[in-house]
Amino acid sequence: MSTTISSRVRKRLVFFVRKGKFSDFIVMALSIGVFLALWYIASDLLHTVYFPNPSTVFDALMNSFTYSNPQVGVLLMGQNIAASMTRFLEGFALAFIVALPVGLLMGYLRYAYDVGSPIVEIFRPIPPIAWVPFFIILLGPLVGPIWVIFLGAFFPILSNVIFGVRSVDNTLLDAAKTLGAKRITIFSKVVLPYTIPFIMAGVTIGVGIAWMCIVAAEMLGAEGGGVGSYIRVNSDLNNFPAMFAGMVVIAALGLITLGVARLLEKQVSPWRGK
Amino acid sequence: MSMLSISNLEKVFTKGKGEEQLLAIKDFNLEVEEGQFICLLGPSGCGKTTLLRIVAGLEFQTRGTILINGKTITGPGSDRGMVFQEFGLFPWRTARKNIEFGLELRKVPAKERQTISQKYIELVGLKGFEDAHPYELSGGMKQRVGIARALANDPAVLLMDEPFGALDAQTRNLMQKELLRIWKETKKTVLFVTHSVDEACFLADRIVVMTSRPGAIKEIFPIDWERPRDRASVEFANLRKRILAELEREVIAGPTAPINPTDKV
Ligand SMILES: Nc1ncnc2c1ncn2[C@@H]1O[C@H](COP(=O)(O)OP(=O)(O)OP(=O)(O)O)[C@@H](O)[C@H]1O
Ligand SMILES: [Mg+2]
Repeated sequence: MSTTISSRVRKRLVFFVRKGKFSDFIVMALSIGVFLALWYIASDLLHTVYFPNPSTVFDALMNSFTYSNPQVGVLLMGQNIAASMTRFLEGFALAFIVALPVGLLMGYLRYAYDVGSPIVEIFRPIPPIAWVPFFIILLGPLVGPIWVIFLGAFFPILSNVIFGVRSVDNTLLDAAKTLGAKRITIFSKVVLPYTIPFIMAGVTIGVGIAWMCIVAAEMLGAEGGGVGSYIRVNSDLNNFPAMFAGMVVIAALGLITLGVARLLEKQVSPWRGK
Repeated sequence: MSMLSISNLEKVFTKGKGEEQLLAIKDFNLEVEEGQFICLLGPSGCGKTTLLRIVAGLEFQTRGTILINGKTITGPGSDRGMVFQEFGLFPWRTARKNIEFGLELRKVPAKERQTISQKYIELVGLKGFEDAHPYELSGGMKQRVGIARALANDPAVLLMDEPFGALDAQTRNLMQKELLRIWKETKKTVLFVTHSVDEACFLADRIVVMTSRPGAIKEIFPIDWERPRDRASVEFANLRKRILAELEREVIAGPTAPINPTDKV
């Protein structure tokens, strides 16, 4: 009896997992539901102000969009989101604009690689977050955080671009040469298109890291609002539901930006099926 | 004067700072008449790919000359087209765009490009697949694109390095017939490397059997039979047997070139 039920359940599950988008959605909803339930139970069992349950957090979240605690600052959540997003976009755009040409150059020209890679190797292992105090002291709490985000996104984009350029299939290069391509046309017509999926992979990874950097930079002393600051201030004030609300917002924004990056990745190189 | 003339060709590969040398090709001489279909056979590592790459201009010989219609070659050029075993198609381009690649480089206007690519799409039997990307095509279809792409530049010589090596037996046989049809229509001079004696006997006007490394010509088998050839015929089987025996002797003999020729002089 129990075996038939469990096998039936498994069949159901398999059915759900295999069937297209709708069942994907159901599975996702189920898994989020389970997570929320566990959160409820844990918060109930622990019964402490440090760990509010989901509905309290949800209320705080809704509240944060329309009301700002004068102790915390004047900004509503919408404004905090705008502040974080602006930092993110500025830092990320900067990273992309610099990393792409540098990466292409280092990947394509042996000489540039030999010169550039030791420098890159020295800086790469330093976690971007370790730069927060330096940048905030040097450039101030308004501009400093942007450069932290820059560093966070820069290296993943750079190394992916370099890797992409260097992994260009030799047969493709030979084919292009026999068809009459010279060094410059090989670059523009073979190397560049070949590298696009790698660029996009770097962008996707960079987005994730940049997002962590924002929160860290904002918590460690950015000015001008931001979701990270919101979390920090509310935790200082023991306003834990609001603190968790900030975390939920961070998660949502991270998911959205990552989703956009992935979508772009697919859009840009549909041929990458196999 | 022959269309393709290779004389006293020698190729030494140098690795590192010239310490390690490898004599890949030595004393290679071959004259090919316009429109001839030549198959190159030889033990693995004897220098067939190297020879083709040198003719293509992708690699440079250490000694000797190669003339195409009397002109010395100095690098890749649109008078020679190459077809690769691994296809080498640009995955982000459709079949048509792959075929038009060489035309784009030569700045042929879009309209004319379209006309030319259409011609070759039809010639190689790709109709209906012109807008497919390589990942959507089977191996045989991919190589049709590879052949059309090389032909679109209207080269004097078509270089093919085991072009059907990655295909299954049926597709391979089909592609051989297709290639002969295309060859008859375009009247190209073809230099075709293969490991298959059967394939060579089916295709070639002349089969060039190479020695083990360093690659030189061991023997040339002219074939003047009508096409399409009957694989089941006695003469076909006899020729195959003779060439196989020849090849086997070479494989057993093995490479004779020292790795460091300069050391051992
Ligand atoms: N770029 C290179 N540098 C050094 N040695 C090379 C290079 N290319 C080829 N060789 C060597 O030259 C010899 C001939 O190689 P080649 O690829 O031309 O042989 P092949 O006849 O095409 O072999 P196969 O039948 O296996 O394809 C081999 O010993 C190979 O290792
Ligand atoms: Mg080879």
